[in-house]
Amino acid sequence: MIRIQLVDDEPNVLNSLRRLLRRQDWQVDAFSDVEEALEALLQHEYAVILSDYKMPMADGVTYLKFAKQKQPGAIRLVLSGHGDSESMVKAINQAEVFRYLTKPWDDHEVVAAISSAVELYSLQKENQRLRKENDAQRAMIKAREEELLRLEADNPGITRVRRDADGSVLLDDDAGSSD
Amino acid sequence: MTDKEPTDTGQDALNARLEQANKQLLQSEKLAAIGQLAAGVAHEINNPVGYVYSNLQTLENYLNDLFRLTDAIDTAASLEDLRQIRHNIDYNYLREDLKDLLSESREGIERVKTIISAMKDFSHIEEEEFKQADLHRGIETTLNVVNNELKYKAEVVRDFGELPHVECIASQINQVIMNLLVNAAHAIEDFGKITIRTRHQGDSVTLEVEDTGKGIASEHLNRIFEPFFTTKGIGKGTGLGLSLSFNIIKKHNGEIEVHSEPGQGTRFRITLPVTQPEPLQHTQQNQDTENPA
Ligand SMILES: Nc1ncnc2c1ncn2[C@@H]1O[C@H](COP(=O)(O)OP(=O)(O)OP(=O)(O)O)[C@@H](O)[C@H]1O
Ligand SMILES: [Mg+2]
Repeated sequence: MIRIQLVDDEPNVLNSLRRLLRRQDWQVDAFSDVEEALEALLQHEYAVILSDYKMPMADGVTYLKFAKQKQPGAIRLVLSGHGDSESMVKAINQAEVFRYLTKPWDDHEVVAAISSAVELYSLQKENQRLRKENDAQRAMIKAREEELLRLEADNPGITRVRRDADGSVLLDDDAGSSD
Repeated sequence: MTDKEPTDTGQDALNARLEQANKQLLQSEKLAAIGQLAAGVAHEINNPVGYVYSNLQTLENYLNDLFRLTDAIDTAASLEDLRQIRHNIDYNYLREDLKDLLSESREGIERVKTIISAMKDFSHIEEEEFKQADLHRGIETTLNVVNNELKYKAEVVRDFGELPHVECIASQINQVIMNLLVNAAHAIEDFGKITIRTRHQGDSVTLEVEDTGKGIASEHLNRIFEPFFTTKGIGKGTGLGLSLSFNIIKKHNGEIEVHSEPGQGTRFRITLPVTQPEPLQHTQQNQDTENPA
């Protein structure tokens, strides 16, 4: 199941977001304590992390930077009460956030942003899986090619099969050396 | 005597100009302070507005669900159908959560209300009159306005004594308290403690703001009340906070003292008379009658 992490020092904000996301098919973990949120990063794999910007102890960018190290695959979003450009630039450049949302927020916008983030996460995951599969297949093909080369070296012509117009295999002893 | 007259009026004019300049400085410092705080206050308001607004939209969804149930009373074929709808809309959850949703939203609105009234109390710039005022109320108002600057830097401890009403210009005293609180928060590097202490002795009251910040270097101690003296970076501090506070307290016939230990913290103490001595009221009136002339 897709897991979403919400981090905000104000529990009422978390509760309203939880209500908002209840209808989605996601497991939502909400934290008002940054340290607990950090701990959860070690226990669960998150698809999306949405963090407040200004929090006691650690600001959202610091938290997201840390989260990026722990879970590079999770898509990061900021939900900030500060619309100032300085915090935005920091969030983008330092924490590489996917979206920077502002409070008060628009419910549809938040759901849409998280949905796109989930989609991106799934795509990246799928991409990764395909790549792995691809790599495995390539490795297999390479092993086979090597095996063929070895066979050919040992028994020249053994890897080439000649057929006639009907597709029948020609068992001609000279065939291997002819070309 | 007679040859002294011209110098006296010259002195008076100079004093009046100085007074005027001071007033303007006070005004602009206040505006700068409010501007600086506006961003913080916006943040304070955006949080509750954010969740109240979102909760209202959720409430609308809940109501639509509930109406689906009540409307079905007329159309449902059987009680079992109604039960099914009730189950589908997660009725038990709605019932429980509605209470939380409403009380949290109320909390949010209260928060906004408090901030707005604190801002109003605070920005009475024109209110230049000495009046009996409750200093504790002024402190709470100011705390509400600077809450955003403080809450990430320090735990605020109120060590309040019993105070009589004090004759003062409340908005100006609030401004002094704000300057001291903001300075205290700035002096704290990670997270510390700010203690606000009030006491009443005889015919004066004291108000202290003590922090566990980095303290003031001894070579700076006698300069901090100078206008434009600041150790903060460009764009961070104007260096006017304490000099204006000093002027305000002087105008109130009070005193402002500082005690600081580098690395330990700083304590500012303001002493104010409970009632203003008569002559001051007199000069106030003098100025008022002078202006139209
Ligand atoms: N509580 C404190 N702890 C440590 N240093 C302080 C404290 N209060 C004041 N100072 C020092 O005194 C200087 C002057 O303070 P003042 O409030 O006048 O100006 P400022 O804070 O620098 O700028 P602003 O005009 O924004 O208030 C500060 O720059 C700082 O070095
Ligand atoms: Mg200051």
